[in-house]
Formats: sequence, C-alpha cells, structure tokens
Amino acid sequence: MSGVPGLKEDFEELLGAFQQADTVRFERFAELWRERRFHTIFYGRIRALERNKLTKKTLDLAQQYFFPPYSFQIRVGALYLLYGLYNAQLCQPKQKIRIALKDWPEIQKFQLDLLDSQHYDAAYIFRRLRLARAFHFTAMPKLLTYRTKKKIEENYFKEEFKDPSNRVNSLITNDVLEELMNIHDHYQKMKCVISADKSQPDKALSLIKDDFVVSLKDITLEHQEWQQNRMELLRNSKVTNETEDKKKEEIFLQSEGSERANALARIKYKSYSAVVEVSKSRRHRQVQLESSESGSGCGKSPSRSKKASRRPQPARRGSSEVRGEMQVARETVTQHIGMPVIIEEDSDE
Amino acid sequence: AEAAAPDYESAELYTRSFRVGALGLSWRRLLGPPDLSLAAAAEEEEVDAAVAAALGCAPGTAAELRAVCSIDMLMSSEKEEDSDVIPEDSSLLTLRIRKKALDRREEKIIVDRACRQETLTYEMESHATGKRPDNPTDLIEEGELLLTLNIFYPVIFQKHKDHKPYQTVLVLGSQKLTELRDSISCVSDLQIGGEFSCQPDQAPEHISKDLYKSAFFYFEGIFYNDKRYPECRDLSRIIIEWSESHDRGYENLQSVKMEDYVFNDLSLKIGFPYLYCHQGNCEHIIIITDIRLIHHDDCLDRNLYPLLVKKHWLCTRKCFVCKMYTARWVTNRDSLAPEDPCFFCDVCFRMLHYDAEGNKLGEFLAYPYVDPGIFN
Repeated sequence: MSGVPGLKEDFEELLGAFQQADTVRFERFAELWRERRFHTIFYGRIRALERNKLTKKTLDLAQQYFFPPYSFQIRVGALYLLYGLYNAQLCQPKQKIRIALKDWPEIQKFQLDLLDSQHYDAAYIFRRLRLARAFHFTAMPKLLTYRTKKKIEENYFKEEFKDPSNRVNSLITNDVLEELMNIHDHYQKMKCVISADKSQPDKALSLIKDDFVVSLKDITLEHQEWQQNRMELLRNSKVTNETEDKKKEEIFLQSEGSERANALARIKYKSYSAVVEVSKSRRHRQVQLESSESGSGCGKSPSRSKKASRRPQPARRGSSEVRGEMQVARETVTQHIGMPVIIEEDSDE
Repeated sequence: AEAAAPDYESAELYTRSFRVGALGLSWRRLLGPPDLSLAAAAEEEEVDAAVAAALGCAPGTAAELRAVCSIDMLMSSEKEEDSDVIPEDSSLLTLRIRKKALDRREEKIIVDRACRQETLTYEMESHATGKRPDNPTDLIEEGELLLTLNIFYPVIFQKHKDHKPYQTVLVLGSQKLTELRDSISCVSDLQIGGEFSCQPDQAPEHISKDLYKSAFFYFEGIFYNDKRYPECRDLSRIIIEWSESHDRGYENLQSVKMEDYVFNDLSLKIGFPYLYCHQGNCEHIIIITDIRLIHHDDCLDRNLYPLLVKKHWLCTRKCFVCKMYTARWVTNRDSLAPEDPCFFCDVCFRMLHYDAEGNKLGEFLAYPYVDPGIFN
C-alpha cells in the first residue's frame, strides 16, 4: 500500500514535539495536538470510499509507533495519537485499530508499566479505547495479499546503505587495466619489430593514441575519487550525529532484537537527534547534547521523566552545520601514485 | 498446549501455518467480555469508582482523569466546522499536500463525482455493515472468527497479466468449506456445451454446474474434495498419484471430504496462495489475507455469509450487430459474419442466421456464449 503523503512527517513532528516536551502527560499532548489542530487531518472533500482507505492507512501508520523498538515516551505519544485519530475520524462506522495476537503480550506489559509508574492518564485512555471497542483483534498486523511490492522500509535503508553498484569500477578493474597495458606494450613491441627503426614504430603504423591506457586509468581514477568523496560527504553528515549520540541510541532500542530492528530504530531515531541553534529568544538555554537516562517505564512520578535535550529539525539545516567538517574530509583523501588500487565493488565498506 | 501466535514465515509476505481455530481460542482466552461483546451500543461511561478500582488509583483521581482525558480536549472547540474545507494556513503537511491535489482536481475535472464502478465498490464494501438478523438464532456468536479471502478469477485476458482480478469474500470460522464452494460464482459453471446451429431453440438441458459437480480446495498438503453428490469425483487423485510416483519433494498429500470440515479445523498460512479447482480444469487461486475476531460493527447475520465484499468489474462483450446487448451466442466459420469468432445477442443472432420459418441460412457453427461479466 502506498502511504498517505505528508502523514509520516506530521506524525513524527508531533511525536517529536511531545518527546521534546519531556513528559508523558496527556494534558501536554493535548496542547500540542490542539496547537496543530491535528483533528483536521481528515479534512478535505473526500468521498466515502477514499475516506475509508485513507483512514485505515492513517491508523495503520500511527499504530506502528505504539510498539517497540520505539521509546516509552514515543509509545505513550502513539497511544494518545491513536486515541485522537480514532475519535477524530469521519468514517461511519469508525475504522478500527488492528492488533495482532503476537503483539498483545507487549501491550499487556506496556499497560502494567503504565500502572506501575502511575501514569494513570495513559492507562485510562487505553482503557477508554478498549471499552469503545476500537480494536480489531487480528492474526497479523496487516492484510497479506502476496503482493511483492516495494515496502516503505526500503526507503529507510536507502539512506543508510551505500549507493547502488558502481558500474565504472566494476568494468574497469585493476586486472582489466593491467591486461590492457600488457597488450598495449606487446602491440608496441610488435610494431617495432616490423619497422625499419627497431627502437620505435613507423609513423605509418601509428593508428591509436599511445597513451590511451594511461588516460583510461586516469579517468577511472578520477571517477573513483569523485565517488569516494561523495560517500565521505554523506557519511560525515551522519557520522557527526552518530558519534555524539551513540549512547542515546539506548533510548530507542528497547529490545536486543534483530539487526534490522536496530537499523530501523537508528534511522528513525536520527530524525530526532540533529542539533539546531536555538532561536534568539532562548539563547540562555543553549541546546546541549547530554546523556539522558534510558529505559522503559522508569520514573516513579511524571515530574521525573527523562530529559530530552534534542530537538527535531528539518534535515537541511543539519547538513549546513556539518559542511565545515566535510571540507576537511575532502582534503585528506590520499592521492594515488602510479597504478591505482581500484577497489572492487564488494570490498567497499 | 498453548499454540504460538501466528508470525511471518516469509517476512511481510506470508505466515507460518497454524490452526485457524487455535487463533480464536488464544484471543478469547486473553480478552474479557467487554472486548468480545457484540452488543450494538457501546458501554456507557464508567463510574469513577469502577475506574479507580481498575486502575488502582483514588476515586478523586478517577474524576480528574475523566475531565482531563476527555476526547473534547482533542476536538475543535469552535463552532461547527465544515470537514470538507481544508483550513488555509494548516501546519499539517498532509493537509497542504491534499489541498494542492484537490485544487488541481478542481481546475482540471469538469464533473467530480463517483463513477458507477466506485459506487459499486463502495456499496459492496459497506452494504452489510452492522446488519443484524431478524431471527436471533441467525446472530453470529461472540468470539467467532472472520476470514477474508481473495479468490482470483481464472479468466486469462492478456490485460490481466500483471494484476489478476479477484473477488473478496468474508467467511466465518464456523462455516463449512462447502458453503464457500457454493458461493463462488464462476463463469465456467454456466457454460453450456454443444453446438446448436441447427436447433437454436432447444434450451440446453444442463449447464456445466449441474453436470460436473466435482471440486476441491487445496490447503497445506490436503485436498478437500466435494463428495456430497454421487457424481462427484476425486479430482485430486491424479495429483496425489503423480506426487507419489516419484520422490518429488512433496510431503504426504492427503485427500479428505470437503463437507466434513469447517474453516476452524484448517491449518493455513495467511498470505499464501492456495487452490480451488472445479469443472475439472478451472482453477482459482485463493489467498487468505486476514483472520480476526468478529466485531459488533461487522455484518452479524450468519445467513449472509460467505459475504462478497469486492469483485472485479469485467466489461461485457456486446453484440457485433447492435452493440447494445450482451452477447449470448458465438459463431465460428460463419459465412454471414465478418469475424471469426463473432458474437451476437439472441435477437440479432436469429435475425441474421435464420429466415422467418426458422430455417438455417448460410453455413456456420453456433455455441451459446456466457460472458465473464455476467456477474456484474
């Protein structure tokens, strides 16, 4: 299923603001929701058939934030979000929130955590949803239609993993260049042998550029350098954020889980972790990247919930911050001498 | 023993095989009466004492919660809002994008209303919602399972190569397989065998559905054969013999009677293609896309199940002459027709091929034709 354009951004903006507000209180969430007039998210002249589809997709996306590997605070936010969306929807009868059997134990645990920590508002709201019979109790979270469509997750991975195969390098490899050189030398020698002057070929036999192998090598090298620089650029913009915030990954990574869950968490986490300069009115409170406590359900009372000191921000500004560092990276790329070691595609990191 | 909850066998594609009934059991064990209730009206708002008891908080807190967590906190406090109108300066990206799209539509489209296909699709999807039977014995029980099946059409049109059209049917866990089989409407069941150019008035005795009653479902290594009538044959026997003749890598394939099983008895994978075969060689792929507990907003009249909620609109072939009526005859080697094969409605067919006395004119072969779009 294709997603609803803009929806993920709106959800992540709201949840990010909630996280930054440093609380799990519904009151605060409601403020943020009202600020954005989030109840209008279903507005627009949409006919019933389309509206049903749209609402299902909306609830489906929101539901994903309700489960691990998201942090406790995000999950509470997702619960409030579902509460709001379920009641704000315009479908008649209402579209339901799907819960798969395999996810129910997780929800039970979450509920217990809420009660233990005396987050009564969250527990109350979950209770209200349940009494309103807002859930469909299903076998699996999504409908499975054996469609081998590209999934949304792929977009996440595209950021992390490197670009698709470098065609030039895989064609003009080390071996290929070496062999070309050998053949070229051999050819030159042959020409000499049949020429009058044994030390150099006849002018009449000069049919190709003598230095074409060297030129080819240079062009390939240039391309490779350009490619590497581009990768460095991308990597550095991520690395500066990553190294600083590595310890805070704990906040998002609840389960030891699979590598994939970790990768996903890392990526989703990143959208909340870039640093922004505070506006002038708040200069006295510069943003600091401090280490926050990790863990789920900790904090006996609401007032002691985590210190979230990062703010979400549009990607553009983040990259301008790190541009200075990228310059440095470029200059330190070593110059190759002679025959370059052209790394095969697979051995790139 | 506690069965494991269904989970993916192939990530995001299909699940491991599990017994359908076990899913129902597991859910019913985990949930309480309010979750499973099919009563029409939702529970009234709880009294504070009940809330306090459930959450383990003070009654005063419960009262506070009722106020603070009310849904009014999230709804518009302003006067009546028109939900068709997107606010001009919305901070929501979703709305800004949607507004742009809607504005573009307004510019380009002259008349923007539902076409008949959309109306049909919506009607099918929602017509049975919340329906309750007059007779209380027909009311579906709490805790019943609802399966969603996609049954693909066998019609092979070139244009359907990449996206095979399908019907979507809802079926109850307690229903027999034979009930599903009887509900599947396929054009091949209506075929009338025989060449009738010499006797066009002779209404054929039987349609294929009456003549060839055999059918089977194939789920997880078991063939469920329809054996209700003496004419029914075991169509799967030849397949089983084939698989046993050499080591072909198939586990023990079994053949059982379709009428002895309900869906709760089956072991299935969700999202995995299975088979329905009838008329000897008419094959439909079946995929179970969803299984869940029944909900009070679903159709609760047992008699309406299996319930068709989606079908593919197939354009019917029209008569070559009048271009108005659906074709009922097809001719081959027709000296009077410009094409081979050529399609005619009943009136045009007779007018062209027979004289006033009913004598056959020209040379041709004529067969009754049933258009796949007949179920539109």
